[in-house]
Amino acid sequence: MSATETAADSRSIRVTFVMASQPCYLPVVRATVGQLAAMIGWEETDTRAIIMAVDEALANVIRHAYHGRPDGRVELECHAAGDELRFRLRDTGDSPDPARICARTVGSNEIGGLGTHIIRDVMDTVSYQTSPEGNWFVAAKRLRRKT
Amino acid sequence: MNISVRASATTQIVDLEGDVDLGSSPSLRKKLFDLLRESPKLAINLKALRYIDSSGIATLIEVLKDAQSLKKEFVLFNLSPAVQDVFRLTHVNRIFRICDSEEEAVSPA
Repeated sequence: MSATETAADSRSIRVTFVMASQPCYLPVVRATVGQLAAMIGWEETDTRAIIMAVDEALANVIRHAYHGRPDGRVELECHAAGDELRFRLRDTGDSPDPARICARTVGSNEIGGLGTHIIRDVMDTVSYQTSPEGNWFVAAKRLRRKT
Repeated sequence: MNISVRASATTQIVDLEGDVDLGSSPSLRKKLFDLLRESPKLAINLKALRYIDSSGIATLIEVLKDAQSLKKEFVLFNLSPAVQDVFRLTHVNRIFRICDSEEEAVSPA
């Protein structure tokens, strides 16, 4: 895994992870996302929700794009700019099945399918795209400051 | 994630500590399924759990379903603020029997 940070301006920080598709890296990403969310100003509950949304997106890549294979390439860019936090996640595994995204009934006792609901509920914008370079998950959330 | 088990008269009490995520939920799943076969009741203490993801929630739902099919009890108690947030986010509060204290959790339903 490697992480680089580039300060683009006084209110911007970009952190990029390039890692293998292994769950052992998830705590490192969660810690970083938590720091970025707290830096922007989200309170603890919202910070935890954002951490979970990103963690679920990564877990979906490990489970569904690479089917648990430990040598898949995963790239995650976290960009905190002003009041917004943006994530771009790329993998080169199997493309997500649109029929399985948010297919679970909310509040049911079905076993799987919670992750995409969490992501959609937490983030302001979410998109899944497939291109020749791989599968892209892009999501963003903006802090709404109380006036 | 650390798992430790204590036994009371009719209940196995499981203390969970740390993070339950994609890496650790398989070992939690195995442990809880094994314990369920040894005891009429499992009570899971979530006070020291810092994080649980959807694979951890799915594990708890799986064990609950297994307990129901075996006519055994499965109870969660002492939910940490982090776990309460996740339960709210995933809308699973009503699925489980959730207790505020260990005393309540080990007493008959």
